[in-house]
Amino acid sequence: MTTSNPQAAHLNALTTRQTRALFGLIVTTLVAAAVACASGSFEISLWALLEGNASVLEQSVFNQIRVPRVLLSGLVGASLGLSGAALQGLFRNPLADPGLIGVSAGAALGAALIIVLGSKFAVGATLGAFLLPVAAICGAALVILLLYIMTRGFGYQGVTYMLLVGIAVNALASVGIGVLTYISNDAELRSLTFWSMGSFGGVTWSLLLPALLAITVALVTMAPAARALDLLQLGEVEASRLGVNIVGLRYRVIFSAAAAVGASVSLSGMIGFVGLIVPHLVRIIGGVNHRYLLPGSALAGASLLISADLLARTLIQPAELPVGLITSAVGSPFFLWLIFRMQKP
Amino acid sequence: MTISAASVAVEIDGRCLLNDVSLCIEPGQIIAVVGPNGAGKSTLIAAIAGDITPAEGIIRYDGIDLQALSSLDRAAIRSVMAQSQSVVYDFSVLDIIAMGWVRGRYAESARQFGAAVSAIVEECAIAELLERTFNSLSGGEQRRVHFARALLQLWRPRGSRNSAYLLLDEPTANLDLAHEVRLLKKLTALAAEGIGILLVVHDLNIAAKFADKIAILHGGRMACIGPPKDVLTAERLTKVFEIPISIDPNPLTIKYY
Repeated sequence: MTTSNPQAAHLNALTTRQTRALFGLIVTTLVAAAVACASGSFEISLWALLEGNASVLEQSVFNQIRVPRVLLSGLVGASLGLSGAALQGLFRNPLADPGLIGVSAGAALGAALIIVLGSKFAVGATLGAFLLPVAAICGAALVILLLYIMTRGFGYQGVTYMLLVGIAVNALASVGIGVLTYISNDAELRSLTFWSMGSFGGVTWSLLLPALLAITVALVTMAPAARALDLLQLGEVEASRLGVNIVGLRYRVIFSAAAAVGASVSLSGMIGFVGLIVPHLVRIIGGVNHRYLLPGSALAGASLLISADLLARTLIQPAELPVGLITSAVGSPFFLWLIFRMQKP
Repeated sequence: MTISAASVAVEIDGRCLLNDVSLCIEPGQIIAVVGPNGAGKSTLIAAIAGDITPAEGIIRYDGIDLQALSSLDRAAIRSVMAQSQSVVYDFSVLDIIAMGWVRGRYAESARQFGAAVSAIVEECAIAELLERTFNSLSGGEQRRVHFARALLQLWRPRGSRNSAYLLLDEPTANLDLAHEVRLLKKLTALAAEGIGILLVVHDLNIAAKFADKIAILHGGRMACIGPPKDVLTAERLTKVFEIPISIDPNPLTIKYY
């Protein structure tokens, strides 16, 4: 409280600490993206590219493989981080992660349905590129709606209840995916296996576009909900007394989180724990206000997944680890730590 | 310009919590709602605040049916201080107070936000709490912060003629004597500025001293409403609260032990 009128800055603006944190996250994301574009089993000199004397091979690897891949990992990280933050706000539950509560599984089931049944009914490849994210988004939205109906009235007490519902939903989805695996042929099976671990391999610009669209829409839709999400932390009744349109807020968050998660899952499979870890880290760095938390989580999610994907493709070169393995390796101990911390009074 | 409830009945899960309750909150008037546990006091606050829709009857804000008002419209007319809520994440006290600022209503006045908060923080004597996280506060301190938030929601631009009402559910619970007196004096001052106040309170002596009107709820029905001297009779109170109660008329004091 050193400035002359501290409260005046407080209404809309970020605190100095939050501004610095966001700036730091932007820099981190850009640095991670630059490093990730340059390194891999085929090293590319960014200077040579900038000076225009890179070889044709270098240019084509950079344009056709590296940039779409880094862009995709950043976008997926941003949408998982953002939807994690928004869902944790909507459910007032610090353990609401799209993976843990079954949203990603719902999306994967939707996508798996299209992969297996779509090819059975000979859906064209172009249509498939759009159908896949749409089906995944529908699957994600269904799960969030189901969760919302089942946790209504539980509010803050529902922290563990919600995880239990998540276990059930995850189990249901894996039954569905199991059945689809059983009736799938070899090519479909390869695509299906890919969902279980998550990977950014094999992305192309044409695959990227529909998801890019969905994720951008989600980011833009979520942004104006920041203050309402803050107020919601007082409880639905109290937020409504303060002027929040609860139903509108609910649908806005459900729709955009489903779009973001669904589009992400349709492109990269299930990548766990990003939506859980990222909002917590961002809160620790700069505070809990959603006007800071939402953009912060998007940025931190992007840099986290860009780095995780870099590790995934460089650790055991020339082979590649599934990126979901890396995030789970970091995320599951973190999850344990969170549970341990919540047990304390 | 009033908040009025006309023959309001509230049913939840088939149980009738309020039946044929009518009252009118006038600007500048303090109405105290008293009654035993389960009489429907909090339900009455919830119905008037618009949290629950009455099964029968109608509630009007300044003549307009409550059901026709958006939550933002309602928030601009009345402010509610409910029994304490928990907050999941570590919001600062200042964050919680700032939530009382009804955005969009007085957009042109956003620059006055700082001054409004400063004044309220001083009135409520919570300056030393501002930087702390809300969850680290004691129950009484949390209530003082919620009160400050409710006051910020009542804020009007200077010279505004828009009416404002404050609904409070047991505002003095958990407060020490000094803060209880401070809060009650603030309510008196708000009433003098023309704000209509409805408060649920357990202490009959507080109701007798600070309220212009007392409403006694009993079994979901309005047993009686009127000025303290008329309403607070030994016979009626003994019947409603089911313990022997005597009244000392000058100054009006209720004795029950």
